[in-house]
Amino acid sequence: MTKIEAIIQTSRFESVKDALKEAGIEGMTVSEVRGHGRQKGHTEVYRGREYSMDLLPRTKVELVVADRLVETVVEAILKSARTGKIGDGKIFLSKIDEAIRIRNEERGENAL
Amino acid sequence: MTNAPPLDSLRAACVAGREALRREFQARGDALATLAARSALADRTLAALAASLFPASPPQAARYSLVAIGGYGRSALFPCSDLDVLLLCADARAAETASAPGAALVRALWDLGWRAAVTSRLLDECDRFEQDNPEFTISLLDSRYVAGDAALAAALRQKILPALAARERTALVRSLAEITRERHEKHGNTLFHLEPNLKDAPGGLRDFDVACWATALRELALRRAWTAPESGWSAMLGESAGAAYRFIAAARVFLHFHNGRDDNRLTYDLQEEAAAAGIGTAATQAVPVDQWMRSYFRHARAILRLESRAMDEAGSRQSLYNAFEEWRARLSNSDFSVHHNRVFCQRPAALADPAFLLGLYEFVARHGIEPAVDTEASVERVLAGPAYATGWPGEPAAAGASLRGILTRTGAGVALRAMHRVGLLDAVLPEFRAVDSLVIRDLYHRYTVDEHTLLAIEALHALRVSKFEPDRRFAEILAEVEQPDLLYFSLLLHDVGKGMPGDDHVTASVEAAGRACARLGLSGYERDLVIFLIRSHLEMSLTLQRRDIFDPDAVRVFSELVAVPERLKMLCLLTYADIRSVNPEALTPWKAEMLWQLYAAAANHLARSVDGARIAAGAASDRELIEVVRGSSALASLAKPLAAFLDGFPRRYLKLHASDEIALHFEMAHRLEERLVAGETLAAEAQLRERRGHYEVTVVARDRPRLFAGLTGALSAWGMNILKADAFSNRSGLVLDTFVFADLYNTLTLNPEERGRLLGDMEDAAAGRRASDAAPRHRRAPHGPRARSRSTVATQVRMDNQCSAASTVLELVAHDRPGLLHLISELLADAGCNIEAALIDTQGEKAIDVFYLTRKGAKLGDAEADTLLETLLHGLEQP
Repeated sequence: MTKIEAIIQTSRFESVKDALKEAGIEGMTVSEVRGHGRQKGHTEVYRGREYSMDLLPRTKVELVVADRLVETVVEAILKSARTGKIGDGKIFLSKIDEAIRIRNEERGENAL
Repeated sequence: MTNAPPLDSLRAACVAGREALRREFQARGDALATLAARSALADRTLAALAASLFPASPPQAARYSLVAIGGYGRSALFPCSDLDVLLLCADARAAETASAPGAALVRALWDLGWRAAVTSRLLDECDRFEQDNPEFTISLLDSRYVAGDAALAAALRQKILPALAARERTALVRSLAEITRERHEKHGNTLFHLEPNLKDAPGGLRDFDVACWATALRELALRRAWTAPESGWSAMLGESAGAAYRFIAAARVFLHFHNGRDDNRLTYDLQEEAAAAGIGTAATQAVPVDQWMRSYFRHARAILRLESRAMDEAGSRQSLYNAFEEWRARLSNSDFSVHHNRVFCQRPAALADPAFLLGLYEFVARHGIEPAVDTEASVERVLAGPAYATGWPGEPAAAGASLRGILTRTGAGVALRAMHRVGLLDAVLPEFRAVDSLVIRDLYHRYTVDEHTLLAIEALHALRVSKFEPDRRFAEILAEVEQPDLLYFSLLLHDVGKGMPGDDHVTASVEAAGRACARLGLSGYERDLVIFLIRSHLEMSLTLQRRDIFDPDAVRVFSELVAVPERLKMLCLLTYADIRSVNPEALTPWKAEMLWQLYAAAANHLARSVDGARIAAGAASDRELIEVVRGSSALASLAKPLAAFLDGFPRRYLKLHASDEIALHFEMAHRLEERLVAGETLAAEAQLRERRGHYEVTVVARDRPRLFAGLTGALSAWGMNILKADAFSNRSGLVLDTFVFADLYNTLTLNPEERGRLLGDMEDAAAGRRASDAAPRHRRAPHGPRARSRSTVATQVRMDNQCSAASTVLELVAHDRPGLLHLISELLADAGCNIEAALIDTQGEKAIDVFYLTRKGAKLGDAEADTLLETLLHGLEQP
């Protein structure tokens, strides 16, 4: 099993969600996050006052999938999250040792 | 001697008894019978266990008593509720003897499937109010003898508790109020949850208990005797709360049987099942789930009213509150009085007058104090009368004005809830009836639609005092809104479409709002604004979610939708309130920051794109223009000449002014043309009107150098402080300037005849008959913070040659002071600049001005812009 964490533009979340659904992925965890990569922050001057936003708002999508689905899922995220501009985000993959469904204690891929 | 209890036979009896309870409830749906039967089953079990476990022979016998307390004591034992038992001992020796049997009793009860808690106390200990455990003393109010020494239990009931209640009434009631307040707060202080907790939420069964306890404490203190709580309530309150108790108790019994545990959350699934089974209804027949939930909310409201009344009468607001209450009592006037923090009507008969009736709620909104239960009863009687049978009997426009007044008061939430509770809000605004207690199932909303709406209105009012850091910026925006009443009014109606047929609630809300605006006498401009806000109320959220708000194109598209800064401010606040009232966690700092960033980017875009889109020649068929013509009868046959007048104006002009205002401007332009054709070369037209506590002067003239400086100079010479202004010109060189100004010295208010002279001066200045640099009659204001306070706003000047295709954009922020705009416009005129468009605004002590400048018909060169920037900075530094 592999955990996929995708930090994406909030505006692309609906597309990513649809793409994941199309790829057969039903469950995911979504959080509001802030951060920046190379593009740094954003500054807005309003009414003569400068408002700096060092950390930009992004959306984090987390899901754990069977290893055989990883490439499909990654491909789906890449296609749906990409705008081609700086700040499109990142995908991180990491190995998962075990998954347990709390309701019935199913384990492994059955618990996903 | 003690014996081993007959656990097997008791277990069989308990299992059979519980099964019988379930069958009986399913067959008859009688919750009270179920509660009593389960209590009786517990009594029998407890008595049997006591007979086996406790010594039956002297000297230890009969020196203890088993007393049911809490819900069990009330014989209101729900199927999965805990069994609370008091092991009451006459003295320490009896307690020592009863200790081991008591422990065995608890084990046996658990073995038999009862979730039992046995508390041991000496009789004397029950005579003390346990301040750190007030729940225990309160639970004794429900004490009921079950087994053991009956005289001991009677001593508790007849001697100890009445004396304790009389002695500690104030502390007990205050503790009860505090516990209740904390419980309500935990549930968001509202009964309108989409998935309510039937026991603990406001209006739940616990509030019925609170009402019983409060009444019992009052009666015990007064009479030292037990009376049935119902005898202490008014018939109306008692009957409606009794019916409410039966309904909600039935729902809770249903939940317990369904869940198999003490889980009191009425989930969506269980709402469906309960409605399908007709739980709580007399016929136990299926009813539509929305109708069943509306019954639930109506009943919960009845219980909450009973609780509120009972606590008031028990004196829940004593001591520390007294001083405050006494102070508030001074708010009383000849129509309404404030007593014990409740509003009473001095002349109940006058409530038949619709204006007086609304006046009551204006008073409530102004002071944020609830009407008394008796006052509400009077209002309900009036509303149930024949005068209201066919709709609002008063003048609708007056009712609209009152409602808008209520909406802007800080206690609007209190007043609106009180109006909604008795049906008055529906009477004034029938459109709101569609969302009364309406449950719309979704994963994010926690409240019914009406509650969500009222919370949204309260969220905006709360901005003024919020300590939440992200709120500060939104509070500033709210302070700038010119007509907050329209914002609140839009919020009130933004979701009413959810209770109307069709899938598109926005369209249904817009249509309903259109009807309400027409009926309540809103002007065309006000109606357009309300309709815009409701139609667009999801747009800002959608942009946040689905667009990159740092992408200039996304900002441009959104800005074009709102078109004018005032609409942007209102839409931003409406969005803020709408999200905030979805559930307590919905508006995260993350979302608030996103919302504010989009607002700021759109505000900047609007300021920098005034001349980007202009009305074209031959625009008679333009959709927006057609709407303008439709909106004013004076323009009905004038589409073509109007299009010629507007040719070259920024499109924003159409959004800034209502049709009747545009008709007025067109008429002024027409008169000016006639005068010019007649040979009056130095002609100009000016009009003055009062506008929301300030004055607005509109000037139409032929463009010429120093025109704007001349007009600002004339106003400064009169000592007027310009708060807002906009200046536009059309393609034929006609200038339309509008100034909103504060009459700092009340010159025009105290001397109405001076208005004509001021208009004359404005026309002279516009026509060039008066020098633009005429020395302003600077009179330092004897009062007023602006004149006195030291400058706290740093002067900032920014020149932008990129954002406009035809002009150099000058953005200027400075500390506001009388004559400032005149000074700036003089400096610009001295530099040879022509003002193509101007947007002037004042927020508190800050002047925020945007000018679109050309020089000799073109943008300023970079060097010219730099020089002008230096000139302005230097000039503005002068005192």
